[in-house]
Amino acid sequence: MKKTEYIYLTPMPIRIWHWLNAFGFVTLAVTGLNIRFPDYVNLFGTYKTAIRLHNTAGFVVSASYLLWFSYYLFVSKTLAKLYIPTMEDIRSGIFRQAWFYFFNYFMGRPNPHQSTPEDKFNPLQKTVYLVIMIFLLPMVILSGFLLMYVTPLRDIIYYVGGIKTLVSAHFLIACGFCSFLFVHIYLATLGHTPFAHFKPMWHGWEELEKHEDHEKKEDQH
Amino acid sequence: MIRIFTLLLAMALPFLTVITNASAATGPENERCLICHTDKKIIKMGGKHLYLDSSLYAATTHSYIGCKSCHTAITAVHPNDNPKPPRPTRATCRECHAPIHAEYAKSLHGSKATCTDCHNPHAVKTPLSISGKDINAMCAKCHNIKKLVKTHTRWLPQADLHIDALPCITCHTGSKNYVITMAIQTRKPGAPNGEFKLATRDELSRLLPEGSELDRLIDRDNNGIISLDDLRAFNSQVRNKEMRLWGMMTPEVVSHNYKILDNRWDCSFCHASGPGSMQTSYVAFPDKSGGYTRVAVEKGAVLDILNGTPDFYMMGATRSAILNIIGALIIAAGLMMPIGHGTFRLLTRKNRKKH
Repeated sequence: MKKTEYIYLTPMPIRIWHWLNAFGFVTLAVTGLNIRFPDYVNLFGTYKTAIRLHNTAGFVVSASYLLWFSYYLFVSKTLAKLYIPTMEDIRSGIFRQAWFYFFNYFMGRPNPHQSTPEDKFNPLQKTVYLVIMIFLLPMVILSGFLLMYVTPLRDIIYYVGGIKTLVSAHFLIACGFCSFLFVHIYLATLGHTPFAHFKPMWHGWEELEKHEDHEKKEDQH
Repeated sequence: MIRIFTLLLAMALPFLTVITNASAATGPENERCLICHTDKKIIKMGGKHLYLDSSLYAATTHSYIGCKSCHTAITAVHPNDNPKPPRPTRATCRECHAPIHAEYAKSLHGSKATCTDCHNPHAVKTPLSISGKDINAMCAKCHNIKKLVKTHTRWLPQADLHIDALPCITCHTGSKNYVITMAIQTRKPGAPNGEFKLATRDELSRLLPEGSELDRLIDRDNNGIISLDDLRAFNSQVRNKEMRLWGMMTPEVVSHNYKILDNRWDCSFCHASGPGSMQTSYVAFPDKSGGYTRVAVEKGAVLDILNGTPDFYMMGATRSAILNIIGALIIAAGLMMPIGHGTFRLLTRKNRKKH
């Protein structure tokens, strides 16, 4: 018989960060598309509106990033534990998880990773999130900031290879985030129900389905 | 008759400018005048307005029609006329440039400044032989740049950048066409935060063997066109030498209808032209006359991702096709996950129900 358990997986500051980041990101992607291809995409009436909205969303995402960073580093103090993969994760965890997504999942076998507040992400998630949160997101924020204030920051731009290098990096990382978004949303539907992983990001509680027969057997052992 | 000849010459001015050189202006008639009027002593004797720089004057199209075409009442005994005339006669600009004068008189600017407030007839240059920075320096004689940045900031994002990268007349008067003109700028060594300024002819000449033409600095094979390879080589060569190429969007054939052009409020006038247009670019080298001579750059230089023009980028207009394709492939790779995995997920749904 099935029994549903609830664990408090996602604290409120992280949920606030996640949704600010999500809405900010979608705004950045759409306005960015308008800014780069104005002759094909005009969703905001004027080009200037698209730029101002893009800049504002950039600040929102930067502020939410600070919230995320400060919370994990200073409040819960679990940044390293949650986001840095262990040697075991790198040696075999990543491959085990990838094997699950690309083979075992189709065979109906269980996910090798069960989320807990102390070990929220599977090895593949940890690695990807680490690259995104510690490397790519700061890069895109920094390049965006430099592009917002070109004249006063011209010297820094000059030393990082010129404005074109900066724009190219900003654009390609943004494309990488768009790519990630599709994968991220899709993988979130792979829970025991399609919305099982979406709910904790809204109210914080993750549903865990457990079979009572299994539990009894485990207790006997 | 003289006036008709003068008018014809005025119409041919833009073509004549191309072949202007210092010796062209020193016909025997001009030479007599220039003996005294290019000597700085004349400033002390009668005032600054009497002095003219011979090399600047020689480069003007006015030098071709000669001093006497405008200063008609100069006598054979000048300056020893007795009694002295109140002031030597001068032609008005309108006499030769009537259509421009009529257009300018109707403009917002017409009542604020006369022709000579902007154009010194003894040093006047065509828009093609003057740098965008010099055009703005002319405007800055009356318009305070800091105030301009402040007023433009009310509606224009990054107003400081726009004013730095555009001659004012790109937005404030009409033109038939616009191109990107790049100029070499330098700043003092050891002053990393110092301001870049247009490199002078002397500065650039020192970088080349004596007698070389300045365009050889970039146009390595001297074929009269700067290729992307030439640009790339120059940019990597000057990377750490406090030197750069600075691009500005400059008008080609300007009008004098100074006004706030309605379509310039719309950013897409410049920022939505797509990669096909505004890709014509030049590098302007300072010439002997104090002006600039442009050398054409291979099409697409403004688009080249890393080395073409690393400090010039115009959002929406200078996007790179290669970069767009790479970006689209990255996004497509992300989409493959839901599409590919989702298809297998659908096909194998029975396996998961069993468990």
